[in-house]
Amino acid sequence: MFEMLGAFVSGFYQVLTPTTFGLMLVGIAVGFIVGILPGLGGPTTMALMLPFIFKMSAVEAFAFLLGMAAVTATTGDITSILFGVPGEPTTAATIVDGHPMAKKGEAGRALGAALMSSLVGAIFGALCLALAVPIVRPLVLTFGSPEFFMIALLGVTFVASLSGGALVKGLISGGLGFCLAMIGLDPISGIQRFTFGQLFLWDGIGLVPVTVGLFAIPEIVDLAVQGGSISKEKIGKLGGVMEGVKDTFRHWWLVIRCSALGAYIGIIPGMGGGVSQWIAYAHAVQSSPNKERFGRGAVEGVLGPGAANNSTLGGAFIPTVAFGVPGSVIMAILLGAFIIQGIVPGPDMLLPPPRGKLDLTFSFVWIIVVSNLITVGICFLFLNQLAKVTQIRSSLLMPFLLLLIYLGAFAEKNAFEDIIVVLVFGALGWVMVKLDWQRPPLLLGLVLGPLMENRLFLSTDNYGIAWLWRTGVLLLFALTLIGIFYPIVKETLQKKGKADVLPMAPVVVKEEEKGAVRLWDTLFTLFIAVLLAWALLESRNFGFRAGLFPWAIGLPVLALAIAQLILELTGRARRTVVVIEGSTDGGADLPREVVYQRTASICGWIIGFFVMIWLLGFSIAFPVTTLLYLKIAGREKWPITIILTLLGWGFFYGLFDYSLHVPFPDGQLFLWLK
Amino acid sequence: MEQGSLLNNRSRVSGIRWLQGWIIFSLYLSITLTFGALASAQEPFYKGKTVRIVVGFAPGGGFDTYSRVLARHMGRHIPGGPTIIVDNMPGAASLVSANHVYKVAKPDGLTIGHFIGGLFLQQLLQKPGVEFDSRKFEFIGAPVRDHPACAFTKASGITSMEKWTASKTPVKLGGTGAGSNTDDIPKVLKEALGLPLQLITGYKGTSAVRLAADSGELAGGCWGWDSIRATWRSAIESGDAVVVLQTTPEPAPDLAKIPLAINFAKTDDARQLIRVGIHNISAVIRPYVLPPATPKERVQILQKSFLETMKDPEFLADAKKSKLDVEPLAGGQLGKMVGELFKLKPGLVTKLKEILQ
Repeated sequence: MFEMLGAFVSGFYQVLTPTTFGLMLVGIAVGFIVGILPGLGGPTTMALMLPFIFKMSAVEAFAFLLGMAAVTATTGDITSILFGVPGEPTTAATIVDGHPMAKKGEAGRALGAALMSSLVGAIFGALCLALAVPIVRPLVLTFGSPEFFMIALLGVTFVASLSGGALVKGLISGGLGFCLAMIGLDPISGIQRFTFGQLFLWDGIGLVPVTVGLFAIPEIVDLAVQGGSISKEKIGKLGGVMEGVKDTFRHWWLVIRCSALGAYIGIIPGMGGGVSQWIAYAHAVQSSPNKERFGRGAVEGVLGPGAANNSTLGGAFIPTVAFGVPGSVIMAILLGAFIIQGIVPGPDMLLPPPRGKLDLTFSFVWIIVVSNLITVGICFLFLNQLAKVTQIRSSLLMPFLLLLIYLGAFAEKNAFEDIIVVLVFGALGWVMVKLDWQRPPLLLGLVLGPLMENRLFLSTDNYGIAWLWRTGVLLLFALTLIGIFYPIVKETLQKKGKADVLPMAPVVVKEEEKGAVRLWDTLFTLFIAVLLAWALLESRNFGFRAGLFPWAIGLPVLALAIAQLILELTGRARRTVVVIEGSTDGGADLPREVVYQRTASICGWIIGFFVMIWLLGFSIAFPVTTLLYLKIAGREKWPITIILTLLGWGFFYGLFDYSLHVPFPDGQLFLWLK
Repeated sequence: MEQGSLLNNRSRVSGIRWLQGWIIFSLYLSITLTFGALASAQEPFYKGKTVRIVVGFAPGGGFDTYSRVLARHMGRHIPGGPTIIVDNMPGAASLVSANHVYKVAKPDGLTIGHFIGGLFLQQLLQKPGVEFDSRKFEFIGAPVRDHPACAFTKASGITSMEKWTASKTPVKLGGTGAGSNTDDIPKVLKEALGLPLQLITGYKGTSAVRLAADSGELAGGCWGWDSIRATWRSAIESGDAVVVLQTTPEPAPDLAKIPLAINFAKTDDARQLIRVGIHNISAVIRPYVLPPATPKERVQILQKSFLETMKDPEFLADAKKSKLDVEPLAGGQLGKMVGELFKLKPGLVTKLKEILQ
């Protein structure tokens, strides 16, 4: 015991030696920028930095790399909140409520909440790592494929609560996500499903371009239609950063539960921050008594994912340290760093020196804690300034937002096709917003679908039917049931007593009158039903194993879609409209023609930019489009147009092209000219 | 608020046209100047150039690590000292990058491809998605050959070949998906040696297989010994995991006592299956190639400098630090081995197709 404590303290001192601390600061600085910029992912940057650690000692190397990794999820939240574009793949869920908050003039509060919950999450994850040391081996080894399946199932039950009052639509949306997850080679027999002969689709469609399309494109369209700036309100008293910090403590148990979820999911190999953020978001919604507020700027929707994506890092470190089993891509790269440093992950890492390297393990804990403290501290200094970005007029931001979207989509796999995926899902997302379909269930389905399918077959292949009676499975099943019924019980109890008064604008839920058949709603539902029917028809040739999931998911979802269609056609479908008092919503005060004209115009620019990238390549398309947009659509003066274009281009070219050598494809025009 | 439109201000538009013209002109100028300078130069071709290694896998894996260490050192050995950078083009188990290098990349000696050598077999077996002819690549060399071995946990009870062959129930081996060596090796072994085994596939990577074995879900699996040694080391050292069989023509130096799969084969056909389906593919698993029709002198420059790099003490030191084995195969030999794959008897190819479907 004393040995352990000694190692704990020694780990702390090792982090604080000048060189180590200095290298950690460098790592933090790099991670800070990487987190903020979409298209610069943590994993790629870490792989680029790996060669630098050859000459460092073990603690130095990890202070450098882990410092970098630890802050990306924190600063990524900032971009998600301010612009509605995920700064990191793991911070996409923060957009759903964080960005609406920014639009309401509460950017400061959202940022404060995101940063504070990130800090809590990071410390919680680090503590888990520290506490897990004695019990980590049995803890991880009790987990087999059946338990992994049950966790995915637990996540799926959250779909219902993400439906925003329209249960059928929510379930269809989630089912659609499941079906989209089936695109690609099936994980067991390698049969191609819905790939249209495109190699690009073999690995399925990526989470990043889907999220960017679903969330960022509708925001951009909205911003262009509304004009003005991102924030529609003056940054008022509620916009304060401290308010967000207080929110973290107001919803303390939610933050802790989401941190625990994040750490837990981090432990499971193959489930990283990409999954945990959505499960945490869903949990925040599910555990809330008034779900209508979510998606419209509820601070809990920021706190949950903010905490979870940070605590995941500490959790993911547990199997990496104890077994050398990386929990995520970042961990795989850190494992490479272990090997370069001549460290063998395994039980040795958990024994106090001189027998083992427990002090090193504890230094990881300290690095995560200290680097997050520093980052959050620095952020708080600038937060109020940062929040003011939302008051810059949109015409100046637009070209850069478009670049971030395309770059963010492209850079994950360096694949041009992902830009097309963004556009397709951008269109889908926009329609879904307009017709009041919830997008988070779709993402949850997309994230959990492959896991469920994969682990279901692994469970059955390994154990036959007997896996259903494993203790872990039964425990998780009970937890799932509690998850479903607890909020219902809580809701009824709270309705009896006085409702929890939250410091936020009152919400009025209106229900549009029944009886009207809405053309576009009906057409969209019909489109989904036809799409599902086609998918089912396609999957008849997949064989039993590859075909089981498409049929088991596709059929019920098709039935739901048809039910929804009937509701629409008979005019019995209801659409709920939530109005948050004191905010202007959905361009209600703009004349219709202007809305149509501006929508057409921004769509033209979005597609035009894409065509430019295709024809001229990124490096030329970006400055040309920026210049044209600022001058024509933005009507800016020449000096500011040229200065912004040059600055933007210089930054883009210098960082992505010159320093990082991101392999941008050549413009098609140049290929034709040859 | 007014809406911007293209036609409402002529002078502004003409200004834009002027600027467009100016950008295009300056681009044109810079391009012609660069190319002009290149043509007149007497210096080595690679001077001032950037060579890209297109890696078919994501950052952090073995293919990426080899390439990044190579990129740090190979430039010194190429006349003109070019900068070498690594681009990741993950997708379809590196098939995307192989097709790219074959079809899209310019054959100018500035793009090197690095993908999994199992793709050559995929072409032979006429798998979908292959858009290249393996025999037309120019081969630079391979830094190492793979030494696959089968390892099991002590808890599974399979600690020797005698115990494996005598097992009453099929031994559970974990796989990472059709087409990977974790799947192909057990499939070939089952057919050639009739071992009692059940392949359970779909794990995300060999680390997930390892974890499932540790937790008792699986008995073990078959993949590269260097990877087993690096990542399962503590279990191997403590005896909690045991290497039972190696599937190479000769034993690895540190596995001298572990039997070879080929020695258990009773028929010629069985031996052929193991030789082609496992041995040959293992030898060419990490190829560095150039697009077809790359100028011969540049191919030779790269082949030579590749071999020199493989002997460079600084490269070897970095490789050792990263726990990368170095056992180079020259470009000529690599090309020959790949070519041999396509000279197999049609009957054997059909057989392989059946087993590895």
